[in-house]
Amino acid sequence: MKNIVFLSASPKINEQSVSKEFLDMAGNRIDAETFNKIFIDVRRSLSSHKLAENFETLAKADVMIISFPLYVFCLPGILMRFLQDYYNYYIGSSCANITVKVYAIVNCGFPEPEINLEAVRVIKSFTQHIHGEFRFGVLIGAGPMMIAAKEAPFMKKTAQTLSDAFSSISDDIKQGHVTKTNDINIGVNFPFSRRLYLFFGGRGWVTSARKNGLQKTDLYKKPYRLNE
Amino acid sequence: MKAIIISDKEYPTKEYQDLKDLIEKFLKSKGLKTELMEVGSDNLTFCMGCFGCWIKKPGECVINDMMSQINRSVMNCDTVIYLSPIIFGQFSANIKNTIDRSIPNMLPFFETRTDGSTMHPSRYETYPKQIIIGYGEVLFEEDKQLFIDVTNKHRRNIEVLIYEGIARNILNSLNKMEFVRDRGKL
Repeated sequence: MKNIVFLSASPKINEQSVSKEFLDMAGNRIDAETFNKIFIDVRRSLSSHKLAENFETLAKADVMIISFPLYVFCLPGILMRFLQDYYNYYIGSSCANITVKVYAIVNCGFPEPEINLEAVRVIKSFTQHIHGEFRFGVLIGAGPMMIAAKEAPFMKKTAQTLSDAFSSISDDIKQGHVTKTNDINIGVNFPFSRRLYLFFGGRGWVTSARKNGLQKTDLYKKPYRLNE
Repeated sequence: MKAIIISDKEYPTKEYQDLKDLIEKFLKSKGLKTELMEVGSDNLTFCMGCFGCWIKKPGECVINDMMSQINRSVMNCDTVIYLSPIIFGQFSANIKNTIDRSIPNMLPFFETRTDGSTMHPSRYETYPKQIIIGYGEVLFEEDKQLFIDVTNKHRRNIEVLIYEGIARNILNSLNKMEFVRDRGKL
């Protein structure tokens, strides 16, 4: 039975993450009777000192699906730490001899899925360094909104696109495709303008700050340059 | 005039030592007072995505470690130079932690860049001159290009250089720069 390792790399602590939701959606399309599915949470792995055990699991993986949020236009530091340390484990290990297939699922809060492109290229580079085969990435714009509004009628088309993208991963794994598959970009089909999306996004920050007892003007504080 | 050098102390390679010495010497020759801040997993933890730096304590990270000192020093210097090993075409984990946790220096809202993409607006009116130098012993062409692309994607006013042991190339580029604060977009 082939091993599929699902890596969830949200830096959030004790919060349901958008990246994990997308990873679960991808995982649900893969048959547990045909494949051995193993989930690894990167933050938990790093903090619970299970790294050696998890690295051993990764080294035996036939397939790796890595899901993470875009942080400052690329991989979050916590995922870089995990992959960097895994690479060091890999080059010192004689048992990691399987050619692993790697997929990336990257989501960001900005509406444009293309913003995730460089992050996918980093996963591709990581794959080349461990002599694996990078298959393709699913690049998701407005990820948090997609999860929050997934039941809304205007999300129907986007939800279908998302479902198709995860099915593409599942099919690619099952059929063992050797032909190149392009990255899949998924943005929201807004029922309203992009400008309005950004406006409501901005208003969301003000609402969150108010719950913490702050006023809108507090959000503009300049603690390190008081004279500006 | 003051410059901050932020580097990853977990990669004490010959390239790193040579590059650090080269930069320190260069900045001194330009009359800049230099402070070296070496980051590692012992003095800098990961961003935890709580957004406390935007909605609880605007402008300041809520995690109590070296990052508060880094953000304060960076926001009050004239030039900041990041020295980062190039790993899979990106910054090393420690340097990426520094970048992830510099988001308090931006505002949470959105703005559209000239290329149509989205970005968070600047919190401050001026920022230090920003330079990122990626280095490595053996670097693939693809990784070098990716490092340049990643850097240019996340900052508008930044210089990105690659160091592979040839001091002349770095000095030529640095000699063309002015080490003063920039007014404008991040």
